[in-house]
Amino acid sequence: MRLKNNPIADDGDELRFCSTCAFSAACMEQGYDKTRLGELHVLVAHTGPYTEGMHLFREGDPFDAIAAVRAGTVKTYVTDSEGREQVQGFFLPGEVIGLNAISSSRYPCNAVALDPVMLCRFSFPDIAALATRMPGLQQHLFRLLSQDIGKAALLAGNFTADERLAAFLVSLSRRYAARGFSRTRFRLTMTRTDIANYLRLASESVSRGFRRLQDTGIVMVDRREIELLDPAKLEAMASSILRG
Amino acid sequence: MSSNITFDAELLRRYDQPGPRYTSYPTAPAFASEFGAAQLREQARRTNQELIPRALSIYVHVPFCFSPCFYCGCNRIITRDTTRSAPYLSRLAREIELIAPWFDRDREVVQVHLGGGTPNFLRPEQIFDLMESLRANFHLSGNAKRDFSIELDPRFLREGDIASYAALGFSRASLGVQDFDPVVQRAVNREQSVEQTLAAISACRDSGFRSVNVDLIYGLPKQTLEGFGRSLDTVTQARPDRIAIYGYAHMPQIFKAQTQIDEADLPDPAGKLALLQLAIDRLTRAGYRHIGMDHFALADDDLSRAQDSGTLHRNFMGYTTHADCDLIGLGVSAISHIGDSFSQNPRELPAWEIAVDRGQPPVWRGLALSFDDRVRADVIQQLMCNASVDIAAIENRYDIDFWDYFATGLARLEQLADDGLVELGQQRVAATSRGRLLLRIIAMCFDNYLNAATARPRYSRVI
Repeated sequence: MRLKNNPIADDGDELRFCSTCAFSAACMEQGYDKTRLGELHVLVAHTGPYTEGMHLFREGDPFDAIAAVRAGTVKTYVTDSEGREQVQGFFLPGEVIGLNAISSSRYPCNAVALDPVMLCRFSFPDIAALATRMPGLQQHLFRLLSQDIGKAALLAGNFTADERLAAFLVSLSRRYAARGFSRTRFRLTMTRTDIANYLRLASESVSRGFRRLQDTGIVMVDRREIELLDPAKLEAMASSILRG
Repeated sequence: MSSNITFDAELLRRYDQPGPRYTSYPTAPAFASEFGAAQLREQARRTNQELIPRALSIYVHVPFCFSPCFYCGCNRIITRDTTRSAPYLSRLAREIELIAPWFDRDREVVQVHLGGGTPNFLRPEQIFDLMESLRANFHLSGNAKRDFSIELDPRFLREGDIASYAALGFSRASLGVQDFDPVVQRAVNREQSVEQTLAAISACRDSGFRSVNVDLIYGLPKQTLEGFGRSLDTVTQARPDRIAIYGYAHMPQIFKAQTQIDEADLPDPAGKLALLQLAIDRLTRAGYRHIGMDHFALADDDLSRAQDSGTLHRNFMGYTTHADCDLIGLGVSAISHIGDSFSQNPRELPAWEIAVDRGQPPVWRGLALSFDDRVRADVIQQLMCNASVDIAAIENRYDIDFWDYFATGLARLEQLADDGLVELGQQRVAATSRGRLLLRIIAMCFDNYLNAATARPRYSRVI
């Protein structure tokens, strides 16, 4: 069992949006196609590739742009007073990083590439101005913002290791599916340590959890690749956390 | 395996060529010194980060032998001075301390193999110390299915040795025999009686060893069908769980001890093939299953079961049931297979000693596998373990079109198919019964490192 295709975005051009674009749906709904956006001089810069381990921004850097992930995975984290890393989230193609910086003028966390990452950066003042003209885009920005906050709920509460792991996998599966990638086969680009840190579990608990899921026929694991063999059962395990 | 396989002289001439034994792909000559300790450490770090990190398998090389067997191509040091083992063991303990911290402690060691050389050059209490050193630095499995094995030279076993190994947790032994024919034994400088050997097998059984393996060699000087046939009968009557029949590789330009062997005494290719054929016939008739290449096992042995369940694997120790382990090689010349890499310790004792004494992990050379290496390694692994390749499985796993990808090997495979060695079907590439004797030749069609060189004296002849 190995992954057929790594999720890599189809590149857009002057006329078409990238297939993983975080904003295309919202813009199209409002009747703004890519040509129209171009006329509005919304500056969009494709940047990257950033190689594994490269930082996209660091805590305290001045905030001037938000960025959508076109390809790869980005991890955000902060470091506590004792120097311990706390993973805040993982961002997949089509997802937007830097949203939590909107309320201040500096990035409140670090962002690092977990594999080769391509970004689509756009100036925040520009898109904010555009949003005032496009109510749909504004709504979309708010939606993205609340999703970002919503992720934190995944970790609160008194849930078992298996429930957390199931919710984590279901969340990834839904997010990949939403961008047109396989719902059941994907590669976890984050390390076991990162997953453990994010789910507030011990590293050994993560591998024991994956082994239990594999032994019961719910998933199949090969190194960092995973296949969901029984997504329904996984959803059921995750339901207490994800609720819908 | 059909019992009557014939090769005509022309075929023999064509296929009796040098080729790798594929205990790894890429093979050791492709390893390079650019891959050192830092690269190996990074590979180890990555394996710790897998979702379910693999269990560990540890190979410890004990290079010392009391006397030189002339056929031997292993890395070994001939000495009767048993005091040489103490400094070697203290350096091994140091190497263990250097390497073990690279691996998360929640990774169980499910396999330990002591190979050589002659591991029973060490006294049981020295092996006890070695195991304690492993236990202090790794998480040795307490599971009954763990596989702790040791290679033994029956000529140098002392009373009670085998019971001591069993007490240390060893449950599988591999005994060197080669051939009982006294004429052959003198020609290769290894005189070993049937009684000694049978006593060792009994001692293993009495001490509760789960599995006993016997090594034989065909193609030795002065070997005859009659004499080798008698050896085969003696061995099969003792019912070891596994029997390995290795082809003798005469490469005196590389292995100095082999210069003691008179080339005129060696059987010709047809004679060698007849010896192999005899072995296959006798062993299959005695109820042994031909696992592949040079290995045979009784139907209820772990190897046979692993082959049935598709979990058989081939590595530097031959065929093994532990497919999903990262392999850590310790000691002079030992080879590791960690994550997507191979690496090897220095072949010469002084170089290994210097590195360990400096507190450096003694990695001499290695290789990080590319995507292409991994695809080909998988195909060759399937060939060696199942004598066939599942085309759709490979296409699906690597997202390739099989025959597009292996277009360069197709012409050679078609030649093999014309010669009745392989069948090229829609679903699989499968060795025929005569092709199973030449798996190396079939595997070579998928080897991307052979194309450059035509003459390769580094590899032994395939028959």
